[in-house]
Amino acid sequence: MLLSLSISPARSHPLQAEPINHAYVFNFDQFNLPEDPDEHVIEGGYLLLAELNCTACHAAPKAWQERLAPKQGPILNGVGSRLDADQLWLFIRSPQYRKKGTQMPGMFAGEEGDAAKVEALVEYLSSLKQDTPKMPAGDGAHGKELYHKVGCVACHEPGSDFRPEKVPAEMEVEKPGNASVPIAFADVYDVNSLAYFLKNPLAHRPSGRMPDMRLTDQEAADIAAYLHVGRQPEKATERAALKIPPQGIEKGKQTFQAMGCTSCHQSEVPSEGRSHPSLASLNPAKGCLSTTQPTGIPRYDLNDLQKRAIKLALASIQKGEAPPLTAAQKIDWQMSRINCYACHDRDGKGGPEDPRAQYFTSNDATAESLGELAHMPPNLDNTGRKLTRGWLEKILFGEGGSVRPYMNTRMPNFGKAQTEMLLDLLPEADKREKPVKIDVSGLEKHHRAEIGRKLLGTTGLACVGCHGLKDRKSLGPPVARLTNTVARLQPEYFKELLLNPQATQPGTMMPPMFMGRKTADKDVESIWTYLKELEGQSLPEGLISTEDFELKPEKVGKPIVFRSFIEGAGSHAIAVGFPEGVHAVFDSVQVRWARVWKGKFLDAMSNWQSREMLPIKPLGSDLKELPAATGTREFSGYRLSKDGVPTMLYTLDGKAVEDTLRPVNGGFERTVKINGSTTKEVISW
Amino acid sequence: MVSNVERVFQLVKSQAQRVGKLVLLSALPLSAQDQSDYYRTVTLETPPGVNMEASGLAVLPDGKLAVSIRKGEVWIIENPSAEPPTVANLGYKLFASGMHEILGLAYHEGDLYVTQRSEVTRLRDTDKDGVADEYFAASKGWGVSGAYHEYAYGPVFDREGNMHNTLNCSMGKVWDGAGDEAKHPLWRGWSIITKKGSTTATGFSAGFRSPCGIGLNAEGDIFGTDQQGNWTPTSPIMHIRQGAYFGHADALKDAKRPDSPVKPPAKILDGITVAEAVTQVPGYCLPAVWLPYVKFGQSTTGLRCDLTGGKFGPFEKQMFVGEFVLSGVNRVFLEKVGGEYQGACFPFVSGLQSAVLTLNFLADGSMIVGQSNRGWNSYGSKSFGLQRLVLTGKVPLEIQKLEAISGGFRFTFTQPVKAADWTQTKAQSYTYLHTAKYGSPEVEAQPLQLSDWQISDDAFSLTVKCSNLRAGYVHEFELPELSSTNGKALWHRLCAYTLNKIP
Repeated sequence: MLLSLSISPARSHPLQAEPINHAYVFNFDQFNLPEDPDEHVIEGGYLLLAELNCTACHAAPKAWQERLAPKQGPILNGVGSRLDADQLWLFIRSPQYRKKGTQMPGMFAGEEGDAAKVEALVEYLSSLKQDTPKMPAGDGAHGKELYHKVGCVACHEPGSDFRPEKVPAEMEVEKPGNASVPIAFADVYDVNSLAYFLKNPLAHRPSGRMPDMRLTDQEAADIAAYLHVGRQPEKATERAALKIPPQGIEKGKQTFQAMGCTSCHQSEVPSEGRSHPSLASLNPAKGCLSTTQPTGIPRYDLNDLQKRAIKLALASIQKGEAPPLTAAQKIDWQMSRINCYACHDRDGKGGPEDPRAQYFTSNDATAESLGELAHMPPNLDNTGRKLTRGWLEKILFGEGGSVRPYMNTRMPNFGKAQTEMLLDLLPEADKREKPVKIDVSGLEKHHRAEIGRKLLGTTGLACVGCHGLKDRKSLGPPVARLTNTVARLQPEYFKELLLNPQATQPGTMMPPMFMGRKTADKDVESIWTYLKELEGQSLPEGLISTEDFELKPEKVGKPIVFRSFIEGAGSHAIAVGFPEGVHAVFDSVQVRWARVWKGKFLDAMSNWQSREMLPIKPLGSDLKELPAATGTREFSGYRLSKDGVPTMLYTLDGKAVEDTLRPVNGGFERTVKINGSTTKEVISW
Repeated sequence: MVSNVERVFQLVKSQAQRVGKLVLLSALPLSAQDQSDYYRTVTLETPPGVNMEASGLAVLPDGKLAVSIRKGEVWIIENPSAEPPTVANLGYKLFASGMHEILGLAYHEGDLYVTQRSEVTRLRDTDKDGVADEYFAASKGWGVSGAYHEYAYGPVFDREGNMHNTLNCSMGKVWDGAGDEAKHPLWRGWSIITKKGSTTATGFSAGFRSPCGIGLNAEGDIFGTDQQGNWTPTSPIMHIRQGAYFGHADALKDAKRPDSPVKPPAKILDGITVAEAVTQVPGYCLPAVWLPYVKFGQSTTGLRCDLTGGKFGPFEKQMFVGEFVLSGVNRVFLEKVGGEYQGACFPFVSGLQSAVLTLNFLADGSMIVGQSNRGWNSYGSKSFGLQRLVLTGKVPLEIQKLEAISGGFRFTFTQPVKAADWTQTKAQSYTYLHTAKYGSPEVEAQPLQLSDWQISDDAFSLTVKCSNLRAGYVHEFELPELSSTNGKALWHRLCAYTLNKIP
């Protein structure tokens, strides 16, 4: 992973990714190498049998059926509205030519009669029309941002002209080592159809391999505008040259059935009824595994490693072996099939490779100190005992499950059918041997909720330092708000985590607040009780600002000098508030009085309480900008008079200057001494 | 094939993390012994209504203590060692105010110097009424973009009277209102020098992330601490010298300036080990000591050399280093090998009331610790405060120092020790990754092959041979249970030596 300074931005758009010359299954390529031993590669073989839909035609033995269940192919309703006839023709005739790396097998080897069959299929599919709702007009520049931030590049190719924000300026952006899932159809669809597809991919592709990224209509349109490079779709000149006469839609339907298309593509056409050899009776030297495929035999352009994997898997299945899987293994299997591993790691497996991980970013600058937790999808170790079933449903296929608004990446929806088995498997796999006991009744003592509230506050354990609650941000980094804790977390896990954070959730930033604390059990239960009864309770101390940070010179009775980031006076500003109700701010970089105003002075909250150190706005009214500085100036400090009035000290073209503002008649009198000679001016406004 | 290398790396990483965390669990309860047996903790009462977020501590010649606080004030405590430590007995006086997040304070040749976000300010009380009336810009010229993470620390003064500060690299959202400095804040991630007689800072050494501590050792050499994150695999202590580059790539922007003493490396290499970086990244300097993550806390802060002449215990001239998350203090022994500083770290105390930001030694030889956890959380759950650690008179049995010797190591104890079952020693070496990722696991770990344990005639020291020493690696030991000849158990058994060079 050595990065050098040389840059070669030859291919910049995701559509220009390196072509892949075999049917691409992301997790097969990610987790299998030619030098890997057979006992490893065989697992990849099972994955290919399932993901390439081999079992849609070749029935698996009973013991294997659940594991190797085929996935549902794209639904072709309306395909005639999405793709024009030439594109259908090019793709059907040779999928691997039109969309390198596709999992759609080629069914035609250019034999006698193929041309007519392809034409018939094109005719039939072109007749499948459906109106696509009108999507908003997209903004390609915004789409480019979204494409690289919401998670698309976990699987798809990043554009090489997009720099992840964290990459140092001198460094070349590292390209993914793994191939990207191809998206060659992005500019074959018309842009409206593409936007509609991105908005709801599960409608056409119920298998969830392209998940629903939870985009708004506008976001889908923006990404579509970026991906749709506006190229004129390729004309199938060869098709025109063949001059095949119209075959009729009925012939197309028959061909669709006869070629076995119905095995994968659900449609109005009944399935062929023709029986294929079962998985157990396949000859591994033939069919899709042999070097060439005649018409009617699916051609996947499998590479040597894939063939080796499939042969190993077939051999094992044919021996009748069907090793039972534990819950953990079943989870691993499903995570591999739908590629959860592109983003998440669990039990030491998965997570994005570095060149893809750099696109996972945070939208909240104050999250920086969380390190990778600020932008990387969470590790899924122990998730089954962490999250409640209800919350898992929200995350996997429901709505409103996100508790990390600071992350740009979204947890996609893979569809209920692809994920609901995890609701049972995860808790079973992650069960703790010795259950943690927690009393969640809240009945044991009065005022437990109040004790919990105090513990969360700044004078308690200061949990609000990192955790916000309801509409209130935390005082520091934006860690998950505690609002939904009780709905989201299992109480046993909550306690386990708090008692020993690093052991429960390795890498967490949660400090060991309860280790060695005598009242730990009760305190954790009190906090749970408070969070359970949150509705209607007042918020912990710290989140409710009880202090008044307004600086009031009239109360102090003398001027207040206050340095901070102040609007209109830069990041080296010195404000002076006078009891007379007139105020000024000095810019010590430009070395001049920058602004004056009346009424209220400043709010010191940014300096005194927060970590964000946001720039401070002058309060009050009648804000006036003062003229720009002249000459070469250098700030040297200030001196306070007995009554607290500062005199700014600086040099102007090498001469020492003393510059003082004093309130007079609702304005200022400015006294400037240069080399012993004094000038005065009145500033009124 | 990069991806598959990655895959293996990720597996290794997660395993390493797990191993690391297991060690933590045994290390965190710290010690079976109660630290109050040796060091009494005195919590100083603070004036009501004042958030005493102590960020800098300077002891004045008359024994008074000056305390800077984050909201921008300097307070003087008349009798910092007074007990009971009530507000009245201590005697607090507000000396200066209105400054912008002070994170460091020093007393030098009769004046107090505070480091604000954008300026080192010399404070003077010219009319002797006890309140500063002159705020003089003693050093400026570094960039401040308005991003929250642009902290500035120091100053310290070197033997020639030049002033040194450390500056965080910039993180977070810049503020357009900062003008040109929003486009490029100068010298971020650097240590800067302000030559005696000048008030303009220029770059001195580069490659820091969040160098929260800068201090001098007994010889007057300058040391800085830093905190784990990108390009900073774990908290280091580095010897700050002109032209040194400590690895954080953000600082390299300014290395291209004509006035930069650091030569920018031709290439940025990401993912090699720090041991490899020494040879492959021209100019890269290893820190003198790495403090292994979690085992010694998670974020080092202020550091101070013990010049109490033994009043604070048998650790004279060693460095004490603040620890934010564990709310504690670690101890560091430094020696020169091959002309460069390296050495070992030891746990010292933990579980103070709040995150430790800064520390110093009072005239009576007690340690004063300044605390604030604003913005991050800490084990100590109070938001701020001041505490003193006072030697009780009972001297702990500790590893006083750990030296690298030819072919092995020498442990020196504070008291003579009895022989123990040395085969029970847990010892390993490992290094870290030089990477833009946030922190690094311990990588390339290997058990140490130890033999030939020998206690010296006076029983104060113990030597051991090691057949697989590796330069550029941390060599970590957890000694077996061990006691002094009069039966006192070893207080802390963990220590880690950063073996940059093999003597």
